[in-house]
Amino acid sequence: MSVRGIELELGRLRRASAAAGSSNLRTSVMTHLAWVPQEWLDAARETLAGLAERHPSRTILLVPDPDAEDGIDAEVSLQCFVAEGGAGSVCSEVIELQLRGRRSAVPASVVVPLLISDLPVFLRWRGRPAFGEEPFGQLVATVDRLVVDSEEWADPASAYVQLAGFFERVAVSDIAWARALEWRRALAGLWPGIAEAGQLHVTGPRADALLLAGWLRSRLDVDLGLVHTDAGVVEAVKVDGEEVARPRVASVTPSDLLSTELDRFSRDSIYEAAVEAVSSLGFERGRRSV
Amino acid sequence: MAVAEQENPLLEGLELRRTPEPCALVIFGASGDLTKRKLMPALYSLALRRLLPERFGVVGVARSAESNEEFVARMEGAVREFGRDEFHQDVWDSLAGGMRYVSTDFADDEGENLVAASLRELDEERGTEGNRLNYLAVPPDAIATLVQEIGERRGSGSWSRLIVEKPFGRDLASARALNEQIGEHFDEREVFRIDHYLGKETVQNTLALRFANGIFEPIWNRQFVDHVQITVGESIGIEGRAAFYEQAGAIRDIFQNHLLQLVAITAMEPPIDFTADSVRNEKVKVLRALHTPGPKNVVRGQYGRGFVEGEDVPGYREEDGIASDSMTETYFAAKLYVDNWRWADTPFYVRTGKRLPRRETEIAIQFKRAPHPPFQETSADALRPNVLLVHVQPDEGVSLAIGAKVPGQGMTIRNVNMDFLYGGSFRTGLPEAYERLILDAMLGDATLFTRIDEVEEQWSLVDTIIAGWQRDRQSFPNYPAGTWGPASSDDLLHRDGRSWRRH
Repeated sequence: MSVRGIELELGRLRRASAAAGSSNLRTSVMTHLAWVPQEWLDAARETLAGLAERHPSRTILLVPDPDAEDGIDAEVSLQCFVAEGGAGSVCSEVIELQLRGRRSAVPASVVVPLLISDLPVFLRWRGRPAFGEEPFGQLVATVDRLVVDSEEWADPASAYVQLAGFFERVAVSDIAWARALEWRRALAGLWPGIAEAGQLHVTGPRADALLLAGWLRSRLDVDLGLVHTDAGVVEAVKVDGEEVARPRVASVTPSDLLSTELDRFSRDSIYEAAVEAVSSLGFERGRRSV
Repeated sequence: MAVAEQENPLLEGLELRRTPEPCALVIFGASGDLTKRKLMPALYSLALRRLLPERFGVVGVARSAESNEEFVARMEGAVREFGRDEFHQDVWDSLAGGMRYVSTDFADDEGENLVAASLRELDEERGTEGNRLNYLAVPPDAIATLVQEIGERRGSGSWSRLIVEKPFGRDLASARALNEQIGEHFDEREVFRIDHYLGKETVQNTLALRFANGIFEPIWNRQFVDHVQITVGESIGIEGRAAFYEQAGAIRDIFQNHLLQLVAITAMEPPIDFTADSVRNEKVKVLRALHTPGPKNVVRGQYGRGFVEGEDVPGYREEDGIASDSMTETYFAAKLYVDNWRWADTPFYVRTGKRLPRRETEIAIQFKRAPHPPFQETSADALRPNVLLVHVQPDEGVSLAIGAKVPGQGMTIRNVNMDFLYGGSFRTGLPEAYERLILDAMLGDATLFTRIDEVEEQWSLVDTIIAGWQRDRQSFPNYPAGTWGPASSDDLLHRDGRSWRRH
């Protein structure tokens, strides 16, 4: 389907929806791109289902399939929600594009004509970004903010090194960083006792452990060692052997976390410094994980 | 510099939440509707979002005989029924664990001892550190006694604040007297006079609309605005509040506070910042600049029998507890002028009433017409003026009416609305006004509360209008329930060649 065809189909859907009775508002606060390799598609759809209601936007799901025959398949839909107070519906547009063959190498040329003018563009990259490859570079050059979740990466330490190379090109959000917010608050509450900490022990995902350690190193300017025990979520944090009181962590869905990141616009210099501390100081080499 | 004296570098970028200091909220009048419908659901929503202090407790105080357990169970029911959030038992249990109930007469020393004992218990068990937020959800005549009791018992080394529900007094003299009584024990910065309209998102958004957008402020003045209409319409009657309403009427119940605050927010100059005093300084300048309307520019009404939403409803004088010859107004409209450089000669038409066709609060800024239509098929009269409409309730949002070409060969112009619905663009669930206001009071932020000089200006205007009514006996009822008020209200605008917005 052509870009023009997509626009026509969206228009047709809007008219059909309005003709069905209720007055529909087309409201957008951004264009939301998502680069979703096939293995992430279900998770991405689930997250988006909980998101569209909070962030009415034009969402463009890009599903690359480089091994297929060249072409683009498009599915276009409207997601409408009853507006608060019951006055009509609010509709978001969802465009799912299968980029087949060589089309998957040139996503920007497909996406740029579909962006909504003057609104911010967010890119959620599922899985480990293909840092050195053309699609990633093209899309990063198109968007205002890149949203990743470093917990999705098998080797976060090496990926952080590459991610840091993009900080001057695009503002970055990391959902893993957002997830550990309450633990950072808890650690901040230990000041000034934590000022000269020597060792951090995190029982939790690798990415969270690295980010917490990188954050403490960069903020406290100390030579902090990291001991990491793997777990699905952050279960415990110790500083120099002392357990940190577990913070109250509200239960949040992936949609909640992404939603929060979509409300941010500026660069997060604290996160960037934490990532650079991870990548430049090499915790992997400094301490053996247990 | 010693480490302990350095600023905590870990706090940077943590987006510290506005978390209040440990405290106990004491609700006087806890058996009333306000506690059930608004305060407790608001506390629950704050607890759910973890905006309450970790060390927090609630003491409900009322005359009704009720045990702690009964009170907690009733409040749980209220949160389930009236709360805007999904009910989570763990959140409720955590909140209810710090909840106490004291059954007492407000003026009773012994009862006050019981309240004090409950608060000491919370200080010990929940660590509320002696800080008190006293919410006076009681009839106006109970306030003075309560304030004295609370004031005499306030501790040192901790803070104590008062939230006072409207109405603050019933005229200028009583408001001043009440303020003097409060002033014996509380400083102005410790007194939070609530007008819950100020806690509404759209009212705050009016400030954002005006002062965060470059396009509106240059045309927000007499040169471009033809007039302003502010409507606070209610479809309900007096809902069993006969004794209160007979004393208040529409002018004291709505005009003196909500309507005049909306006028002030619409007409105020840009504050230098969003601190309590900067905002309130600008609002009070508007209230001072209000020209007292003469009798011809004021309309009173009282509803008779009629139909609202298909229901046959009784007239005001037929309501329980209302005298059959009551002269209390249930409708009030006025033409106001703000006598300053920005608004001179620009009328602000305001109206409020009960048993109107629908519940609706809105501010309509009607701009002057385009001076000349260059289209042959469109006469100057056919061009409708642009209207910027701020919907305060029930559907919070803003819309702008603009003229647009009807598709086709000719050049026919029709008005269309560009809508911005809050529920459409930010579907995060709008916080209830009381959530914001209770949290602000805990934080000591009085920006969205009315200062005493504002209250005095409001009463001063109301007193002058009411004084004129002594010589002018109306024939009531003068509008059927379910209509937009008496015919004289339409005349108020027709005389100026204008009309109320069509709904």
